Amino acid sequence: MPGQRYQNRIELLQGTLDLLILQTLQWGPRHGYGISQAIAAVSADVLKVDTGSLYPALHRLERQKWIRAEWTTSERNQRTRVYELTRAGRAQLLHERSRWEQLSAAIGSVLAHSGEIPS
Amino acid sequence: MKLPLWRRGQDRELDEEIESHLRLEIADRVARGEPQDEAARAARRRFGNVTVVKEVTRDMWGWVGFEQFAHDVRYALRALRKSPGFAIVAIATFALGIGVNTAMFSVINAVMLRPLPFPQPAQLVDVAELDLRPGQPRVPGSASWPNFFDWRTRATSFSGVSAYHDSAFTMLVGGRSVHTPGAVVSADFFTTLGVPPTLGRGFRADEERAGSDVVILSDSLWRSEFGAARSAIGSTLSLNGRPFTIIGVMPPAFRFPIRVPAPQLWVTVADDARALPGDEPMTTQRGAHYIGVVGRLRPAVTLAAARSELDAIAAALAREHPDDNGTRGVMLTPELDRLVGDTRRALVVLVGAVACVLLIACVNLANLLLARGAGRSREIALRLALGASRRRVVLQLLAESLVLAGAGTAAGLILASWCVRVLTTVAPTDVRGLDEVTIDSFVLAFTAAVGFLSALAFGSAPAWLGSQTSPRSAASDDGRTTAARGQGRLRAALVVAETGLGVVLLVAAGLLVRGFYLLVHTDPGYDTTHVVTAKFNLPEQRYSYLKQIAFYDDLFADLGARPGLQVTGVAPMPLSGSRYTLSFELAGAAVPQARRPSADFALVGPVFFRTMQIPIVAGRDFTAADSDSAPRVLAVNETFAQMFLQGHDPIGQRVKLSLSTTEKETPWREVVAVVRDFKQKALDEPSRPAFFVPYAQGLISPMFIVARTTDPPARVIEQLREAIGRRDPELALYDVRTLEEYVGRSVAAARFQMLLLALFAALALALTAVGLYGVIAYGVAQRTREFGIRLALGARPQEVMRLVLRGAMRMAGAGVAVGVVGAALLTRLLGAALYGVHPLDPVTFALVIVSLFGVALIAAFVPARRATRVDPMMALRAE
Repeated sequence: MPGQRYQNRIELLQGTLDLLILQTLQWGPRHGYGISQAIAAVSADVLKVDTGSLYPALHRLERQKWIRAEWTTSERNQRTRVYELTRAGRAQLLHERSRWEQLSAAIGSVLAHSGEIPS
Repeated sequence: MKLPLWRRGQDRELDEEIESHLRLEIADRVARGEPQDEAARAARRRFGNVTVVKEVTRDMWGWVGFEQFAHDVRYALRALRKSPGFAIVAIATFALGIGVNTAMFSVINAVMLRPLPFPQPAQLVDVAELDLRPGQPRVPGSASWPNFFDWRTRATSFSGVSAYHDSAFTMLVGGRSVHTPGAVVSADFFTTLGVPPTLGRGFRADEERAGSDVVILSDSLWRSEFGAARSAIGSTLSLNGRPFTIIGVMPPAFRFPIRVPAPQLWVTVADDARALPGDEPMTTQRGAHYIGVVGRLRPAVTLAAARSELDAIAAALAREHPDDNGTRGVMLTPELDRLVGDTRRALVVLVGAVACVLLIACVNLANLLLARGAGRSREIALRLALGASRRRVVLQLLAESLVLAGAGTAAGLILASWCVRVLTTVAPTDVRGLDEVTIDSFVLAFTAAVGFLSALAFGSAPAWLGSQTSPRSAASDDGRTTAARGQGRLRAALVVAETGLGVVLLVAAGLLVRGFYLLVHTDPGYDTTHVVTAKFNLPEQRYSYLKQIAFYDDLFADLGARPGLQVTGVAPMPLSGSRYTLSFELAGAAVPQARRPSADFALVGPVFFRTMQIPIVAGRDFTAADSDSAPRVLAVNETFAQMFLQGHDPIGQRVKLSLSTTEKETPWREVVAVVRDFKQKALDEPSRPAFFVPYAQGLISPMFIVARTTDPPARVIEQLREAIGRRDPELALYDVRTLEEYVGRSVAAARFQMLLLALFAALALALTAVGLYGVIAYGVAQRTREFGIRLALGARPQEVMRLVLRGAMRMAGAGVAVGVVGAALLTRLLGAALYGVHPLDPVTFALVIVSLFGVALIAAFVPARRATRVDPMMALRAE
């Protein structure tokens, strides 16, 4: 069942993708396509966000009231669904960021360790 | 995939969102120089499978929670299947709690909540007269016809106001005389209630005039006596010796006034408008209070507005008729409240009791779950270590409680439907709705809500505590000790609480049992054994006032002369639930009519006091010589003599009763006897002043025959039937009962309440014992190692046992202390149901305390003995 496969990938990515989405929205409201483009651009195309992960994540974050969605008409006169960070979302972003920093610092120090591992 | 309605809009939006994503990417690619069709293909390829993306996105819309719950339920079911013993005990405990609550609530629903079976039942109000004389209780009383007629013409608050009173009819059908309960009503009665006859027509206003003899039948009478024939309408029916025309048949469910047995026919007030021998018709006697009145408020008229209007009318009537109405007020009560009446208090007490039982059941479940949670702490620690959030763990543990509660509720409903069936057969029948108790959708909703809330109540603390396990303890062995200590305190507190509740219930039940014992052992003032009573009506058509007296004279003389039989008459019958009161005047005291005192009153036959074995304190018993032509006499009871004839020799005093028969003027009567007080209406009534008049000097109602004999009742009844049938084959003997049956009926409601409360208290005690056992047994299991070490170090088994028992007694003691305080505060609510037992009756309290400690000892004994049998070596090796 394909759904099952996608779900597994969401779970793997979950924390990180949420962080990336919230971070991207920090600079202002964007639609789904815009978010994926921004992540790709900022990471110099290293992180390519799969739509099968992006949209479930967006709808989940919306349900958790960290982001808010609105239909607007774009400059090219197209109706798009635009997401915006909420106050709770801002708090969540700070929380996830500090967690990420802890984690990366920990991993970094493990990787930087060159000596013997005490047993 | 078929989506529910409320999801379809959201689904369209998702389509649109994906559409816009693709358009935006295509536009970007085209802007970068790609050809349109290639850009479209690339964008689609890059996006991936639209259906799958939609599917996984939709999963975020809230199904997740539900699916997780379904998963938790499945998991809980699996976990419970693995420990069937726990599951059975838990479900059975909960089923008991829910079962009794559902049964009680279905009673409350039928008696107090279900609206009366009439259109717009909330508009119906009971209109009663109030006796405003000082010292009289302010309770709704009967009205008189003239007052009712004045209310009806003057009041504008009602769209209809109607009167009714019970009446007994001797009906002649197919050559048989059948006694039939019925009612005399005003012509607008059925219109006010809003229920028209199903067949024929209702009463017309002009049919209130004397001589309009029309009758409306109940559906059941129409079926049983007229074979449900339409031709019955318009035919003639002989009632009390007079021909009545049948004009209508009521629907099967119609029942008003609400009586047991239900009225089978209705005639108009025309029946009361006939002139009485030597007296005015009842419809013109303003001082004759014996009718009930029901009104229907106009829409938008409030009860308060109607009250103030009726108060003004009553005040006007008091001015216009100072003699009869000078001290009469009026009282309006919603009809349903009036019908519920005294039952409310008893029901509230019983609801309190079943709520206690449910609480105790919940406490037991919480305890069971805590013990189970302690046993599962490693499993939970493992789940936490594997990344489950505490919230997930709490929800999962709660799901288990919900599964238990669901199963328990289902089992409880089965128990309740059985309870309801038993209840309706043993319940006293004179409470409205008690014969219509069912588990309807409202009761089901109540039960579901209580079940769910209980699951949260007993499940939340164990679930929360269960989730507090440290994930680290998954790996180590001692995870349980720290968590277990906090839980142990909670468990002990829960047991203390449940013991307290059990004490409250037991004390309440104990007081009621004692009260009931006192009640049934109250001396009624007469010997209730070997007395048979029965009644018959003499049709006024053929029996003039003097002929009626002659009939009784002859009958009593004939029966009284038979060997082994003492026969007399009385009306009203003691303990039959009715009471006559009459105002009177004392010689030498000029009191305006409205201020005259009144006292209980009964008509009695010759040798009544000797036959009933009521001691005569002074004077003589009535005899056949106290006839209509003899000097007017009366007997009074001791309370009457004390209250009204103090300082004089009562014998020879003169009293004038508002009771006249063949005389031109109301006669003065001479007191010829003072008798010991006896119970007239109920065993628990306080002493009331009363007087007694020979029936031949004021026959105003049919007499009960009272026969004392040592023969079997059936033989006596045969003799009565034969003696009456020989004189007039058209007479029907009814209400054939022994005096002991009257005693039983008068205490039926009290007995019912006591039995229910005792049953609930027994349940509570059993559940408390199980709870105590559970906690102590668990504590012993936890301390196996400690006991092993103690025994290994040389402690004697008795010492270990004492240790366990002491712990149990401490818990029980705390619970008893809490319970005694609670009971002392709450038993006052039992009020009148206690029949003279003090709410703090020390004997009851002492018995309850002793029995609770006894039960606690028994519950603790088995685990305590187990503690002494711990093999020290095994206990040590187990670590």
